[in-house]
Amino acid sequence: MEEKAPLTEGVYYILLSLYEPRHGYGIMQFVSELSNGRVVLGAGTIYGAIKTLVNKKWIVPLDEDGRKKEYMITDTGKRVVKYEVKRLSELYNNGLMIAKGEDLS
Amino acid sequence: MRKVLYRFFVDFEKEEKWVNEMGAQGWHLEKYSFARFSFTKGEPGEFIYRNEFISGMSSADKKDYFEFLKDSGISIINEMGSWVYMKKAAADGPFEIYTDTKSKISYYKRMLNIFALLFFINAWMGIANISIFGDKTSLEFVNQSAGVFNIAAATLIAFPILKIIKCKRSLEKDQQFFE
Repeated sequence: MEEKAPLTEGVYYILLSLYEPRHGYGIMQFVSELSNGRVVLGAGTIYGAIKTLVNKKWIVPLDEDGRKKEYMITDTGKRVVKYEVKRLSELYNNGLMIAKGEDLS
Repeated sequence: MRKVLYRFFVDFEKEEKWVNEMGAQGWHLEKYSFARFSFTKGEPGEFIYRNEFISGMSSADKKDYFEFLKDSGISIINEMGSWVYMKKAAADGPFEIYTDTKSKISYYKRMLNIFALLFFINAWMGIANISIFGDKTSLEFVNQSAGVFNIAAATLIAFPILKIIKCKRSLEKDQQFFE
């Protein structure tokens, strides 16, 4: 059930950024680039989200060989993302369909 | 040039605001300890300051978190009790530790848990010291002083508690419509 609840923008982007292994700061940079600077996540927000996502087993910490801990999305995490993309596309398509003719640029 | 000021704030957000106002005037926080702030003179408005209550983190987690903060261009000024003061160059753009409603609410919840515990311990100790142990012994004065101190501490903790509850409620209300 909880896998089907809407994700926050931050969590959604954090999950996307972990299709490649990244550490906290790497996530912050990637999310900012991906959203053209629109979504800038605070350090506390990312750190808290990482802890929760690890507990849910949506992401895993990789073996520490370097100084910084890196994380990677799990299969469960990928399932959550896929479900979310589907949900967002429904929202998007319905919005487009009903509000079309308005300026959506 | 250095300057040491003694200020006591019951409201940690007002305290943070004051530290930022000092920074805007060119007085940069160098060290913080209980109600004591030391500043050095520098470029006005060079940094943005934030405080955070980090109680409940294991030392490994804390090391990890601080490492992450440093990577993000944030410098830790110092840690005192469960409070950390940090700064980031204003030229790097806006600096917030918690950027969405959900993480702000969970930060407030974490603070509330600890503050409420401290409040009840002090209130209970205060009542116990003043009434129960306050019998006619030579220690009566000591116990009553301790009791008064506990009650004062409980009262001071009550202010941030009420404020956090208020902020948390308004965020929770927002959350029904916005992320």
